[in-house]
Amino acid sequence: MNSEITAGGKPFIHHHSAHCESGVTASLFRDHGFNISEALVFGIGSGIFFGHLFFVKIVGLPITTFRSQPGAVFRKAGKRLGAKFVTMRFRSPQKGMDELRRALKEGKIVGLTTNIYWLSYFPNRFRFQFNGHNLIALREIEGGFRVSDPVLEHPVDCLADDLERARFAHGPLEPHGFMYYPASVPKYPDIKKACIKGMKDTCNMMLRIPIPIFGVRGIRFLAKRIKNSPQKLGFDDACRHLGNIVRMQEEIGTGGAGFRFMYAAFLQEAGELFASGELAQLSQEMTVIGDLWREFAVVSARIIKQRGQSDDTFDKIYGLLMECAAREEALFKKLKIVAGKLKK
Amino acid sequence: MKVNEVPQDDTTYYQGEKRACYALNKDGKYVIVPSSGWSAEEVVNGLAVAELAAKLEETRQEVLNGLKSSLAYHMEFRQMTPDILAKTAGMSGFRVHRHFRPEVFNRLKSTVLERYARALALSVEELKSVPDKSGGGRDTK
Repeated sequence: MNSEITAGGKPFIHHHSAHCESGVTASLFRDHGFNISEALVFGIGSGIFFGHLFFVKIVGLPITTFRSQPGAVFRKAGKRLGAKFVTMRFRSPQKGMDELRRALKEGKIVGLTTNIYWLSYFPNRFRFQFNGHNLIALREIEGGFRVSDPVLEHPVDCLADDLERARFAHGPLEPHGFMYYPASVPKYPDIKKACIKGMKDTCNMMLRIPIPIFGVRGIRFLAKRIKNSPQKLGFDDACRHLGNIVRMQEEIGTGGAGFRFMYAAFLQEAGELFASGELAQLSQEMTVIGDLWREFAVVSARIIKQRGQSDDTFDKIYGLLMECAAREEALFKKLKIVAGKLKK
Repeated sequence: MKVNEVPQDDTTYYQGEKRACYALNKDGKYVIVPSSGWSAEEVVNGLAVAELAAKLEETRQEVLNGLKSSLAYHMEFRQMTPDILAKTAGMSGFRVHRHFRPEVFNRLKSTVLERYARALALSVEELKSVPDKSGGGRDTK
């Protein structure tokens, strides 16, 4: 059920992925004969991150992100593995759709950046105005396209009208019909070198950005804000803010705990690649951190649901987040040393 | 997270879809496991959905009481902000704001209405009215 035929007659196997961008990038690589897992792409592209952008607001609630900005994983992974991509943006939707049809007719599979609200094959509750969702168009069918959306279990049909709206939606991070496909993928890319680069970059992003709302310091920043929020905003509003953070962590594509697990999967794979026990050890530590983030979500949900009747308090959440920060700081510091020692 | 810890709470709002989760199997290897939803996630999602619905209903009442134009309702229905709507319809933000006033909206030319209708993926008829029941016809497109 998950194998499809592209317009060029090539078989395509749909892989269910945890993150749209790394999933799409990995699929494009695989289509060009370079077998790579989603986790590896995620690690090489330095997908993991943290930032609490208190001044950017969607429906009045600040953004908390657990990943690097949309497009970065694709860009970085492509560069570090030495692949060349054809990327295109369009002014006119008509031209954008024509170009997509042309590329598909040539037998290519094409990555697209879309707005998730207009993709009607998603369950309603997942649909909101967010312009950074990625998917792959496989071939044209009557009235639409066959698409492989890595977040879903199986390939689906998408109406042409939906896709056009989604590709040319407006708002923050406008996609402008962004489409991309590999022009060339090296036969034997230097995965090890790319992994080291990805790890070092991640460590820098988590530890060394001199603005206190990013990386590990960002987690502490958020922890303090949450702790003070009941006094500052009142209990109900504090719950709203907290709910929004958990929502961004678990449900919206920015995945918090899920990304920690995916990064742990990357560290595990890299550990095998380098035959490094240290990386395997770090992978286990990352798993613990992911579990901690999940606990944060559970406790938060309990507070919201019981409206202050439970024993859980905002102070407890503060403690959990501070522990996440401390553990992540220790982990990335260790990873930096380990990555420096790895042989290319 | 181990494979048997992957939440399988069968939340209704996934509508039968499943999410991929990374989890450790018995041998300590990471594998992808489809999850059918998580109750903790459902709580926060429910909160967000209820909030949106409440706001939408408030706007609907305002439209029925003649305080706002139906354009405001349909914009919120599509989860847009005036800024996004203005860009999508190719209109200046100032004009969009003005068109939220019912007396201005009712005088609009059909060409302008069509632009809004296209931007919001509605027919002009739908654009001019709001549903009689709250929550009725939640997204059909």
